[in-house]
Amino acid sequence: MSNDMPGDPLNRLKDTSVPPARAEARQAALAAGMAAFENSAAKTVNAPKGNPWGRRLKSIINFPGGKTIMDMRLPIGTAAIALLVLPLGYQLYLTTSMTQVPSPISETTAPAPAQVPPPRQDLAKQPQDSRTQAPAAPEPLESEIGTAADSAAMMESMPAPPPPVAPAPMLSQGGAAMEVPTTSFAPMSDMVVVPPLPAGDQFTSFEEQRLKLVAEEPVSTFSIDVDTASYSYMRSMLEDGFLPEPDAVRIEEMINYFPYDYPAAQDAAVPFQPTIAIYPTPWNTRTQLLQIGIKGHVPPAGEDKPANLVFLIDTSGSMDEPDKLPLLKRAFALLLDQLSANDTISIVTYAGSAGVALEPTAATNKATILQALDNLWAGGSTAGADGIELAYRLAEQHKVADGTNRVILATDGDFNVGIEDPEQLEDFIKARRDSGITLSVLGFGRGNLGDDTMQALAQNGNGNASYISDFREAQKVLVQEIGGTLEMIAKDVKIQVEFNPAMVSEYRLIGYETRALNREDFNNDKVDAGDIGAGHSVTALYEITPVGSGGELVDPLRYGSASQPIARSGEWAFLRLRYKLPQSEVSQLIEQPITSDMVHSDIAQASDDMRFAAAIAAFGQKLRGSNYSGEMSWDAIAALARSGRGTDESGYRNEFLQLVQTAKALKPDAVPAVN
Amino acid sequence: MVHAPAMDGTAAETIDHAQAITQALVVRARNGDGQAFALLLEQHYERIYRTAWKWCGNGDDAEDVAQDVCIKLGQAIAGFDGRSAFSSWVYRITLNAVRDLQRSRQRRGRHVDALRQITPDEHPADQEEAATSKQLWAAVRRLPEKQRDAVLLVYAEELSHAAAAEIMNIKEATVSFHVHEARKTLRGLL
Repeated sequence: MSNDMPGDPLNRLKDTSVPPARAEARQAALAAGMAAFENSAAKTVNAPKGNPWGRRLKSIINFPGGKTIMDMRLPIGTAAIALLVLPLGYQLYLTTSMTQVPSPISETTAPAPAQVPPPRQDLAKQPQDSRTQAPAAPEPLESEIGTAADSAAMMESMPAPPPPVAPAPMLSQGGAAMEVPTTSFAPMSDMVVVPPLPAGDQFTSFEEQRLKLVAEEPVSTFSIDVDTASYSYMRSMLEDGFLPEPDAVRIEEMINYFPYDYPAAQDAAVPFQPTIAIYPTPWNTRTQLLQIGIKGHVPPAGEDKPANLVFLIDTSGSMDEPDKLPLLKRAFALLLDQLSANDTISIVTYAGSAGVALEPTAATNKATILQALDNLWAGGSTAGADGIELAYRLAEQHKVADGTNRVILATDGDFNVGIEDPEQLEDFIKARRDSGITLSVLGFGRGNLGDDTMQALAQNGNGNASYISDFREAQKVLVQEIGGTLEMIAKDVKIQVEFNPAMVSEYRLIGYETRALNREDFNNDKVDAGDIGAGHSVTALYEITPVGSGGELVDPLRYGSASQPIARSGEWAFLRLRYKLPQSEVSQLIEQPITSDMVHSDIAQASDDMRFAAAIAAFGQKLRGSNYSGEMSWDAIAALARSGRGTDESGYRNEFLQLVQTAKALKPDAVPAVN
Repeated sequence: MVHAPAMDGTAAETIDHAQAITQALVVRARNGDGQAFALLLEQHYERIYRTAWKWCGNGDDAEDVAQDVCIKLGQAIAGFDGRSAFSSWVYRITLNAVRDLQRSRQRRGRHVDALRQITPDEHPADQEEAATSKQLWAAVRRLPEKQRDAVLLVYAEELSHAAAAEIMNIKEATVSFHVHEARKTLRGLL
């Protein structure tokens, strides 16, 4: 703004000379600070202070003739109303919120262990929730419900409070609470020694992919995953000093967060070609990593396909925090710069304010769009709006034939979009997807994030789920990846790898737990799978144990196996890739043998990208507490990632190096590395 | 270290490093680690004091405020949830402490500081320039609280409007508005 005005007298304010503080004042201040710190630390251990009678002081005036009747009516009335309203509120909560979503991927995948939504998680969170809420509601209720006789007796036994001075301490207490920014921390009674994990975020629970025997299960099948939400969620947790819960760490999303320099296919007809390599596992000297990378075809820049975007924005009260709606507003301006005259934008809101906030408008009409966005306000509770139907109706009306039609849902976890039943909502989204309108979900904030629902909706809508933790992330998702997230170049991409038992004895897919498919699903075009956008890269890692390496975890069968394999020496495995072109319902097949000439005997010979991907896998496994993570130290992971950093133009890989250091501080290596 | 084209990467890394250390100290202090809290105080005392000096205009008050801030940090660090940056949180506490001090002064009717033209803290060499600059400072310190905070955060502390908005817990546009209002108030002087 005007700070840059030359000769602005206010600019003189910056070159003032401040004389240094006196050393003794500094010492005194530091000592006082420490004393306060220790005092409050000690206080958290002691029982909370309060009225010794366990009841609230109702009046500072001592009525000589006992209690007046007025004094009791109000509390009793309040209690009666509360008793009436609480069950109603609870009922409302149960019927309108989607906190207990069943399996997000029920349609597409095998009955893997991942699919059972764990009641364990909810149970574990309850004590925390009730603790944070405890100081608010029940306490006054309880103390006021007592019978009239009881409380009259209590008032009599209470000593006469000193009238003029009594209010003073209360006032000053209130003042102290106001002085410090109250939004940022919990009341004193909540202060506990362990940092409270932000409760309320919901994750699909899953079990790590197990080790499999090639002799028993030679074929591994999964759907690609281009989501990145897990990485940015984990990053924001670590940066705030918390370890993310294991279910929040999805390794494939962490690996796929980073751009890799795989050669892209030249032709839109065969939109990608796989890049394959085998190199030693950094955390296990006896096994190898098999890396499969694909990168989507990038259409020439001249081609400008129209996009029809409908934003469905959550405006409930909780969105009114700096890292939510205001962040979205700022990021939006960046998005508009990416769009052209044949793209249209519309905005629908739900919860809080509901309805069409912006009729479909050409993306070049920035002033109108930003104005509409500015007028969005977050406030109020959830109004039962048919937000999602409205959004899809708008998308339908302005559907573009040869381009992208997408609804983009931006929320912090309130999925009260107008369809209450989660399954019904998924079906609704699936049906619209088949008619050509896809859905992406942008998650904001923390504490109430329905990550499981986000994933479920985006997977059913053939879109992406992204978690926007800060402005940088908003820029990455909305600007740098907009080509990828908007223009789909192939859909229902499935990968199947068949291992050669003559070469590989055991294998384990790293990550993709929530994306597993049955073997027979691979050739079934009805089974849905992930989509890939222009320029997207997707990476999958297998940890494989070569025959005769001595690294097998399972003992060989005493009586041998029945069948004799077809001997094909030099082939480690065989890769099959199925995909559908955007307009087609019939899948295409790409096949490629994985041969010995793809093997690097030393990880140093592998490319930067491969070393980096291996480092992330090691990081994710260590963070999750995986059974297979070996003894790799944080420093070794950082060194490996540093060696694979490359030019890192966007700076994401440098940032990852910082994260490793943070994780190291939060979860130090148990035993110092012995050399 | 690879000195590749990632020029900005290396610069950002050093800043991030300092931040990461603060972050780690905050986490440890919040968990009750007294040593970490002591380090944190030492790291921040100078900045707190300098800020307080700019707002109060004399060393005694600045020392009082800095001490209050240290005490409040000690009381409240366990509840700091990291939603905002630690530095903006410290700023907020400092500004509140300044306000408390000045309000309690006002109640006792002491306006001595506001009337002082040249404090003995100032170096005698550039008296004349100091006099005009002192006038400006005195005028800025007499502004209504919000305007004063906005002007000092943006100009004396050289923060962005967005950062000032976060500290003052208001919208970015409102910061600009307060600065604008302050300009109007100061027009005669500037």
